[in-house]
Amino acid sequence: MVPNIFSVPAPIRQLFDKFPLLTYPSNDLPHRAHLDGHVLYVFASEDGAAAGAPSYNPACLKWQTYLKFSNVDFRLVSSNNHASPSGALPFLLPSTDSSKAVKPIPSGKLQRWAMDKSSEAIEEPSDSRYEAYLSLLDHRIRRAWIYSIYLSPNSTSIAEPLYVLPTSNNSFVRLSIAHGLRRAAENELLKFSAVINAESLYREAEDALVALEMLLGTDKWFFGASNPSLFDASVFAYTHLLMDRRMDWVETRLPDAALQHKTLVKHRDRILSAYFPSM
Amino acid sequence: MASPLEDDVFEKLKQKVDPAEQRKQHDDLNARRYAQAQKSQERLVELIDDNTTQPVTISSIRILHANRTRRAFLERVVNPLLSANREEPYTLAETLQEVGGAVDKLNRFGIFKSPISVFYDKPDQTIASSSPTDIDVYISAQERGNYTIKTGTEAGASEADAYVNAELRNLFGGAETLSAHGSLGTRTRSAYSLAFDTPILSNPDFKFQLNGFASSTLKSWASHEEVLKGGNSKLTWESPAGHRHEFGYSGIWREVTSLAENASPTVRADAGDSFKSSLTHTWINDKRDYPMLPNRGYLMKTVSELAGFGPLKGDVAFFKSEAESQVALPFGDTGITLTAGLRGGLLYPLALGGASTPQKSQINDRFQLGGPTTVRGFRLSGLGPHDGPDAVGGDVYAAGGASLLFPVPKVGKETPLRLQAFINGGRLLSLKGREKDGKLNSATVSTSMKNTISSLKDDLPSCAAGFGLVYAHPIARFEINFSLPLVMRAKEEGRKGLSFGVGVEFL
Repeated sequence: MVPNIFSVPAPIRQLFDKFPLLTYPSNDLPHRAHLDGHVLYVFASEDGAAAGAPSYNPACLKWQTYLKFSNVDFRLVSSNNHASPSGALPFLLPSTDSSKAVKPIPSGKLQRWAMDKSSEAIEEPSDSRYEAYLSLLDHRIRRAWIYSIYLSPNSTSIAEPLYVLPTSNNSFVRLSIAHGLRRAAENELLKFSAVINAESLYREAEDALVALEMLLGTDKWFFGASNPSLFDASVFAYTHLLMDRRMDWVETRLPDAALQHKTLVKHRDRILSAYFPSM
Repeated sequence: MASPLEDDVFEKLKQKVDPAEQRKQHDDLNARRYAQAQKSQERLVELIDDNTTQPVTISSIRILHANRTRRAFLERVVNPLLSANREEPYTLAETLQEVGGAVDKLNRFGIFKSPISVFYDKPDQTIASSSPTDIDVYISAQERGNYTIKTGTEAGASEADAYVNAELRNLFGGAETLSAHGSLGTRTRSAYSLAFDTPILSNPDFKFQLNGFASSTLKSWASHEEVLKGGNSKLTWESPAGHRHEFGYSGIWREVTSLAENASPTVRADAGDSFKSSLTHTWINDKRDYPMLPNRGYLMKTVSELAGFGPLKGDVAFFKSEAESQVALPFGDTGITLTAGLRGGLLYPLALGGASTPQKSQINDRFQLGGPTTVRGFRLSGLGPHDGPDAVGGDVYAAGGASLLFPVPKVGKETPLRLQAFINGGRLLSLKGREKDGKLNSATVSTSMKNTISSLKDDLPSCAAGFGLVYAHPIARFEINFSLPLVMRAKEEGRKGLSFGVGVEFL
């Protein structure tokens, strides 16, 4: 070892090492204690999280469903974006056997993590059209969803009770958060077009749903796979929420469009009964 | 041609001035002047003494130069002095005392330049309405400037920041102050505040303050950043015996955000928004001779806070109480002092208005303990429950310490420099009793609290001992200490070796 002028001389180090003279076991943690096992942090109500119900947020539901496909055992915790390392839910905190700090896994790395953990790794279909169809979901349907939930009249019947009211009991805080949410939704949509045109957003989403129905055809799972994949989870994340009767739709154009596609309804029901049997 | 007289002057100038002689002359002159002043003072005292029982009536009080100050505001201070408003007649001694009291009040508003001078005059006896006992009082109160702006930078052991302070004085002519503060820094990322301060009923001991603020603070000991936005209002009252009371209401929107990547699950569970609506009361009785480095005297302080209970609403509900005491005992006139301090606090969970189950405490409401200004020899928030890398705080704490301070040899006891030897320690605990369903129960909370408090004295407290150097600057106290932890709990973070501390209140 290279001698360092800042290093403590050996006799002093030995003396220092004697301190503290007495060490007791560690203090108990406050009430909000650890959960054992893997924990997925999602948007959900406290009760919904405890029951393992599908999250009301498509991004969260997609990964919740995917982890179920992967046969990974996990628990849900109701959370918010502030808790996430990436600034957005979901993320997963893997279980630890020791008291060592664990790194959270953001949604972008969840697929890799699930493949490592799962005994029967899910193979994604290697279809050349995969990316193209995925972009239908990630862009067209997602944008229509954002508009419908946060900017249309649904914002008071869906976004407010789900995303704003649970944050605080204080009306000023709620007002400020509701305003922030609306602004964020607008900014997200304005990234892709200069104006927000509801008609064109909905029309594009309707076209996308038609395309997805044609893609599924008579198959059980997308791309003719024998087991559900991340693509099925991604579709289910939207179709389930659009078809969920518990969502309080005021402007029903998007859910109406989804319900017209009987094969997509069947696809959703298949996943719901197989992976969320208690719902 | 030079006259003999002029020659004489040159001769005189040529002569060397004897410095001793000159000093003597100078001293003589000073002594004479002093004696003269002393004598005139004595004469004045004698004159006043002779006339102390002389009846006097104050017929008018004139405050000069106070142009921007409201008349009604000044009237409240001086009106009680006017003989027309009093039943009893004055003696001269009483007059001087009463006028002195009023001047002292004016001084304490902080809007006049000191000293405020007072003149007495006999009114013109030819005026029909005047009586022979009448005197007029003139108070010359020069107003201070109506604003100050200060900017600066500060650097400390773990923090550096730049700030701007602006203060508007005597805003509406009633000693109102509006002050604005803004700072940007490394630990306190940003802080802005606007405060309005006004005396009530022209009484400098009775004040009302309205305050709005926004800040963002990095809490590295618990892997997050806390963003605050809110306001408070408070009434402060200082009793004649020097007890200071503060009653206040505050409403604060708190956001636990920007978590570090390795933040613990306990911190993650508390991430997000909460609104605290609370009533606070603070009582301070500070009888220390020099608060930064007391030689004798004592301090007692309690802070109580009731949040979210009943009509207060908000998102958090608790009763929080903290008490602090310090005593300083001098060893004669040696400059050696023993100071001892004791602190404690508890956070009692309550049910939010309308709810039936008490609320669990959150990380931003729980106590933190450890660091140079609380328990020395530990890292900042080094004591108490730790979840992974995070100090998650506790619901009950007690801490105590004793320091022996003695003057630095050859520097003397008059300087604000001391050597100290100290021992200090404490316990910080979370509320005991873990419910199976994760919910608190109002019946069990009180027994849990009792158990927690009684377990404070189980085993030895976590403690450290050391020695160091203390420097008391008028605005803050600086300490550099060498210390070693003696007793600790696992996961608590002690600090071996040198540490540096800056603060106002030390244990």
